[in-house]
Amino acid sequence: MKCISVKTVKYVSFFILCFIFAALLSSCWSRMELNDLSVILALGIDTVDDEYEVTVQVVDPSQMSKNRASDRSPAISFSERASTVFEAVRKITTKTSRKLYFSHLRLLLFDEKTAAKGIKDPLELLFRDHEVRPDFFIAVARNVTTKDILTFVTPTEVLPAMDLDKSLKISEKAWAPTAAINVVDILQILMKDGMEPVLTGLTLIGDREKGKKSDNVKQPLSLAEYQYLGLGVFREERLLGWLNESNSKAYSYITNRVTSTIATAKCPQSKKDFVIEVTNTHTKIIPLLKENKPFIQLLIHVEGTADEIQCTINMKQSASLQELEKIGSASFENILMEGVKKVQNSYGVDIFGFGEAFHRKYPKLWKDWKEDWNDTFKQLPVEIIMDFHLNKVGKILSPIDKEPGKKE
Amino acid sequence: MKPNQEIEFSNALEQNIDLIHYFMGKSSDVIVRELLLPCKLRCVLFYLDGMVDKQALQDNVVTPLLERSPENNVSIHSLEERFINVSEVAKVQSIETALDQMISGGVLFLMDKANYGLIIPLPGWEDRGITESQTQTTVRGPQNSFTETLRTNTTQVRRIVKDTRVRISTVKVGKLTKTDIAIMYIKGLADEDLIKQLHERLQSISVDRILEGEYLEELLSKNKQWTLFPTSFNSDRPDSIAAGILEGKIALFVDGTPFVLLVPSFFTDFIQSADDYYQPYIYSSAIRILRYISLFICMLAPSVYIALTTYHQDMLPTQLLLSLAAQREGVPFPAFVEALIMEIAFEILREAGLRMPRTIGQAVSIVGTIVIGQAAVEAGIVSAVMVIVVAITAISSFVLPAYTMSLTTRLIRFGFMGFAAMFGAYGLTIGILILVVHLCSLQSYGFPYMSPIAPYLQGEQSDAILRFPYRNLRKKESRS
Repeated sequence: MKCISVKTVKYVSFFILCFIFAALLSSCWSRMELNDLSVILALGIDTVDDEYEVTVQVVDPSQMSKNRASDRSPAISFSERASTVFEAVRKITTKTSRKLYFSHLRLLLFDEKTAAKGIKDPLELLFRDHEVRPDFFIAVARNVTTKDILTFVTPTEVLPAMDLDKSLKISEKAWAPTAAINVVDILQILMKDGMEPVLTGLTLIGDREKGKKSDNVKQPLSLAEYQYLGLGVFREERLLGWLNESNSKAYSYITNRVTSTIATAKCPQSKKDFVIEVTNTHTKIIPLLKENKPFIQLLIHVEGTADEIQCTINMKQSASLQELEKIGSASFENILMEGVKKVQNSYGVDIFGFGEAFHRKYPKLWKDWKEDWNDTFKQLPVEIIMDFHLNKVGKILSPIDKEPGKKE
Repeated sequence: MKPNQEIEFSNALEQNIDLIHYFMGKSSDVIVRELLLPCKLRCVLFYLDGMVDKQALQDNVVTPLLERSPENNVSIHSLEERFINVSEVAKVQSIETALDQMISGGVLFLMDKANYGLIIPLPGWEDRGITESQTQTTVRGPQNSFTETLRTNTTQVRRIVKDTRVRISTVKVGKLTKTDIAIMYIKGLADEDLIKQLHERLQSISVDRILEGEYLEELLSKNKQWTLFPTSFNSDRPDSIAAGILEGKIALFVDGTPFVLLVPSFFTDFIQSADDYYQPYIYSSAIRILRYISLFICMLAPSVYIALTTYHQDMLPTQLLLSLAAQREGVPFPAFVEALIMEIAFEILREAGLRMPRTIGQAVSIVGTIVIGQAAVEAGIVSAVMVIVVAITAISSFVLPAYTMSLTTRLIRFGFMGFAAMFGAYGLTIGILILVVHLCSLQSYGFPYMSPIAPYLQGEQSDAILRFPYRNLRKKESRS
């Protein structure tokens, strides 16, 4: 045989080395064809008889294509019981032909029982597993089991989980009482001193059993609907109770979660209402010391436009706008104050992160307060400073009237 | 059975004629025209039919000799000086030289009692004429292209670069084809060492034939470096070649092909088109960016698709993943096999389209669209997305102005697909790394292939990836 040149040997061995290294250093290596995967979009965790009942909602991809057979459901739900979440998930493989794929999880639901028992344990798997992407939202099923929610047919989107996910995002943007809390928020809050988590509530209204059939969406008015409803207040990892709409609003404003929302306020001199569309808002939590006692000042900046003015008022005068501004400001202050009071008195857990603010500003004093912060929080004096502006009134000035400007 | 010693013409005409017949045989295109001059001396014209301009031969050689030459005191020297009305006439003494000249369109003039012959070059053959460039079309700018005739080609470049420093030297290569190869450069701009090297290497080439520039491309590349990338640029556009020699490159014209080589050539040259210089610079720069994007699409699109759908489903947006999954429902093959089938099917179609007679070329495209476009998807053999991926890949490969570069990317694509199928995005990264290392170590005739990007040359950036306005283009002239 002919002598092979040194150069050839070098080249060949270079490529062989490349392949060896490529093969050895490839770490987590798993090839999955798309049609071997069941994409989990929603995961529900219920507690039944001291065991977790895990419900997953996966997509039937054949139902997502254009020429689908319409008599099959686009979403499939499986549930299984076990003492740990992972065990239950793996048990589900006995019921499905494909591998459950967690990366596209959009929504995680707990029922009230699980939430009251503690959410850290069931969340552990989702923090730890490499496949799970930490960008899903978390909600608590209110008065229903998560299994009910995940087996119910939603009206707008074909995939229920997508419907729930989109609705949560949209409603957070446009409706202050909803707070979309995702897994990273929860992780951060759970690890923080001086702040307790909240989770948004999700419930079903209407006929639950009929809502599980495809008949649910065969007429304009669904037989059953879901609704995001209020915020659940947690102490550490355990659900204590629920805030109503107004109190939830206060939470959203104070924690800077409002992008745009509306608020109603009473008209001057009449029982009717007018609406403020909030276009820009920002809250600053200022921790202060008063006689060595903690004291919170909330600097709340709100900009909005006056909308749907049912009042009899002549908007051509700039004084009227100022009047509405004054009323609006007062009603805002009222809502926020009530919200804070309610949390302080009924639950006594610092969901607003006031403690966190003190921790940052007075790290040394915080050490003394840390132990019984929630008790301190109950008594914490809160002052609200409103910076409220109404900028516009929309396309028309005064409300429609036969003789505009004549009254008053 | 050619003897090493050259055979020279003798005084006897008959003997000379016999010698020529001995070497040339009795080929039907060898024309022997015997003339009897007014001085009663016999002379003979030898030429190859079809290689010689017969009209010129008649007007400038035969007529003056027969009708106007004197009746006495005639020598071959006086005839050459006074009666052969052709501008360049050369004396030949050895038969081999004479035949070599004759074969490439000369007329050999032999006379009784003369111990040397005359070569009257009157080349004239059917020529294609200058037409529009078929392979590198532009919207604006000159539309002429090279032909198969060497001299026409060099002249076209000369007419663009009217400078006394333009040098052309010609070498014959190929034992049987004796192909003329012209080296054209601008003295002072081109690298002197490279010119010398090229001459040496051209002379040392010992092959039977040179039929096209590709022969030279392969025979000239120095250290036998193995690469898929083209290291010499070729074009059939005189303006591209002129631009090349103005940049200090060396043009290699090969007789018989309209494609002229430029050496050394760099990676960026293959992404540039002559059109870039005839359009506003912002537009040209944008188009160049588009070409780089297409280059990457052409190389990577199928492999990225494979990597994403088989390893990194988590990197896709949820909605996209679901619609991809919906398409893949019921497809029996893994994504890699699916991609391979489609890519090979496409390559077959393309090759078929190239080689088919033009009249039935249309049938190929119809069959192609129906078979790989629709039927395959409806039959559930491949997914619709895969057809989109293959189509975008194919179209991207047509965007590259240099055909040689698009050949390379077409081939590399399969390598990347293999990497993606084995290791996913990690494999792609390794593939790209290998590619970059290879490109950076590659040389074109001693110059780094990736220049002016790697090594980074600040001054040359104005026409590397983007085209800067002409006022910013570096003036090559000032370097010399």
